[in-house]
Amino acid sequence: MADDVKPDETLDCRGLSCPMPLLKTKKAIGKMQSGQVLEILGTDPGTRNDLPAFAKKAGHEYLGDKDDDGFTRFYLKVK
Amino acid sequence: MNDGNDTRVMVSLLKRGYAAVFFNNWPVWLGGLLIGILSVITFAWARPWGVAGGLRNWGDWFFSLVGLYGRPPLSPLLSTSSILTGGLLWGAFGAALMSRQFAIRMAPPLELAKGIVGGGLMGIGAAMAGGCNVGGFYSAVSALSAGGLAMMAGLFTGAYLGLRYIYWELEHLPSGSTGGTRGKKEGGFNWLKVEPYAGAAVFVLAAVCAALYARQALTRIGGLLLCGIAFGVIIQRCRFCFVRGFRDPFMTGDGEISRAIAVSVIVSVLGFAALKWTGLRGETVYVTRTFWFGSLVGGIVFGFGMVMAGGCGSGSVWRAGEGQVKLILAVICFSLSTSLFKTWIRSSEGFSSLMGKRVFLPWFLTYKWTLILVIVIFLLYYLVATWNEETEKFVVEM
Repeated sequence: MADDVKPDETLDCRGLSCPMPLLKTKKAIGKMQSGQVLEILGTDPGTRNDLPAFAKKAGHEYLGDKDDDGFTRFYLKVK
Repeated sequence: MNDGNDTRVMVSLLKRGYAAVFFNNWPVWLGGLLIGILSVITFAWARPWGVAGGLRNWGDWFFSLVGLYGRPPLSPLLSTSSILTGGLLWGAFGAALMSRQFAIRMAPPLELAKGIVGGGLMGIGAAMAGGCNVGGFYSAVSALSAGGLAMMAGLFTGAYLGLRYIYWELEHLPSGSTGGTRGKKEGGFNWLKVEPYAGAAVFVLAAVCAALYARQALTRIGGLLLCGIAFGVIIQRCRFCFVRGFRDPFMTGDGEISRAIAVSVIVSVLGFAALKWTGLRGETVYVTRTFWFGSLVGGIVFGFGMVMAGGCGSGSVWRAGEGQVKLILAVICFSLSTSLFKTWIRSSEGFSSLMGKRVFLPWFLTYKWTLILVIVIFLLYYLVATWNEETEKFVVEM
């Protein structure tokens, strides 16, 4: 699902651990417009649970994730 | 009957079992329940669960090695505190390997500094409160100590202040924690592929160590090692994080972990009360002389530190077992600062008595009313956390 997504913004959270990726995501979304896609790069295993849970609660659409070279790319569509 | 087919069914069953245990994270409520049960088993077997005591033993051991302390502490191989904390680290390391989540994860400099300062603050807070979020709060509340409840209030306050700091940092030092530290992949050799085998070896080694303790007539210590390892596996697989139980109601409003902690404490307190009420365990076990000043103020300092570090006593240790450099630093600084600060408090009668008194709640309220009080408090925690999830009344905006 996440393979053909074109992100509008990319947020690099590699090396950060909980709660920084989530807070930075929240902040980045605040500057974006509805319908835009945010790509988040992360290395913390917890992010895989936290981002979908946050998206569900805040009403954004979680588009999925894919593994890259030593990190993971996550995609969120802004509400 | 086709034997080959039967074997295939068994192999596929085992594979699915492995995936269920080590690929998917376990639900957090299940973790809360399991931790509650294991906490009672650990107390029935030998003593209550704790984390900071083990870290302090390691700090004491280090400072006596370098000659700062005169008398060496009990050997980390024999101290029950050290065995429990070592088991937690060991179990989390094994579980991270089995689920292919172990990696040395470097963090940017500001994050490393937060690990160091947060770990140091947690060490000071734990020395004041007579334990970390486990020994000073979780096991202390289970042990019906008033100090446990005072530390709970402190942890909320500290977590709230810590969150304010993190918001301030995001506003004023946004580049300080920018990512970009590459997770690296070794060329040619796929380390992730062999991690599960290494994990299995780690667990077999643990069983061998427990058996060796038993052969030395130290069965109780060997069993505690296995308890510690079980805590490590459960906590790593659920990503059970006490910090979130205190921080998330203010940050995202999420109440899942708060509910799991509430369930866990209720299970644990019933078991502890049964063991104490019947006289099977001493009344004052884990009722420290820290009510109220040490527990409350220690809780605030600890709560602030744990939010900065991104892991509490147990949380820093299991994340260290997963290879997160920031939390490895936090654990090291925790053990050094808690050893120093505890020695300093003990050096003077005045400081020790400033921390507070030993208050075992049933002395004042009877066992029955103490149990009712603690259960009501944690049901309220459960309810308010869920109510806050809907209304976001306590959520602090960035």
